[in-house]
Amino acid sequence: MTAPVAPRPARYVEHVMGLPVSLALRGRHTTDAHARAAWAEAFAVLREADRVFSTFRADSVVSRLDRGELDESDCPPELHEVLAIGEAARRDSDGAFDVRRDGRLDPSGVVKGWAVERAAAPLRALPDTDFCLSAGGDLTCRTLHPDDAPWRIGVEDPRDARRLVAVVPVRTGAVATSGAAHRGAHVVDARTGLPPAGLGSVTVIAPSLTEADVDATAAYALGPDAARWLTARGRTGLVVGDDGVTTVVG
Amino acid sequence: MQVTITVADRRITDVAVPQYPDGNGKDQQINASALPVLTKETISAQNADIDMVSGATVTSQGYLESLQSALDQAGLA
Repeated sequence: MTAPVAPRPARYVEHVMGLPVSLALRGRHTTDAHARAAWAEAFAVLREADRVFSTFRADSVVSRLDRGELDESDCPPELHEVLAIGEAARRDSDGAFDVRRDGRLDPSGVVKGWAVERAAAPLRALPDTDFCLSAGGDLTCRTLHPDDAPWRIGVEDPRDARRLVAVVPVRTGAVATSGAAHRGAHVVDARTGLPPAGLGSVTVIAPSLTEADVDATAAYALGPDAARWLTARGRTGLVVGDDGVTTVVG
Repeated sequence: MQVTITVADRRITDVAVPQYPDGNGKDQQINASALPVLTKETISAQNADIDMVSGATVTSQGYLESLQSALDQAGLA
């Protein structure tokens, strides 16, 4: 006998890296031991990413590398992977996105999306189960059966977080939004050190959250060129100006 | 394809009609319906029929008052 379709997804929430991590599950494993084990495993991946990459922890690999206590060659392969993604984004954005600025290393702009995508692996292993996993408003989801409804993702209004400017129906894929506030820090154009002018937020929809998150942040850093840059990359997304003018790219 | 919606005082004052791609773009492979659907007026969070929120201000600090928190509380396992 197949389980009936749950009317509402089951949800889980925990906080790490100063961000709420929200999981929604629907299908066969939503509240049983398999679901809870997969959630625990997903969260452990995020906690480990924080331990390695956090710039807020003096004992993280990134902090020690930044202080010169570690050599890049002594770092775990995950660090090399994240730095390589950051380097590709720097090149592709003509330097607007950069994990290094003023001689300091801060790969936060890469780590969140990359870590959440890795954290989704145990959820992907749950048979007959759909998921949507979000960390601080950047998320990745899966829908197994073509007849099932897509996940409906609301895009926050950058001028009023109680409101939405758009809804994105996503079956399988990722959605990331970048704006002025990013973990309490400010996204800047790395070439000038200044926040980009004229933008409220940039949302990118892509197959993986690794790409969506980096591209949303890079496009936001590019300011007035955001929509043009995303179009040239063949991305789907949404650019919201600080005047409320909204442009769909895709 | 590019749609430009002009919004003033939370109301759409101009809409450039989209021309949808004919189905061979790479985003079609992800999700045939992944294009953002702009809301006619910005939706009040309480009435939103959504599963998750994507936004730049979703942090632990503001979580309790957030729409994401309301969605989570409604379905906690």
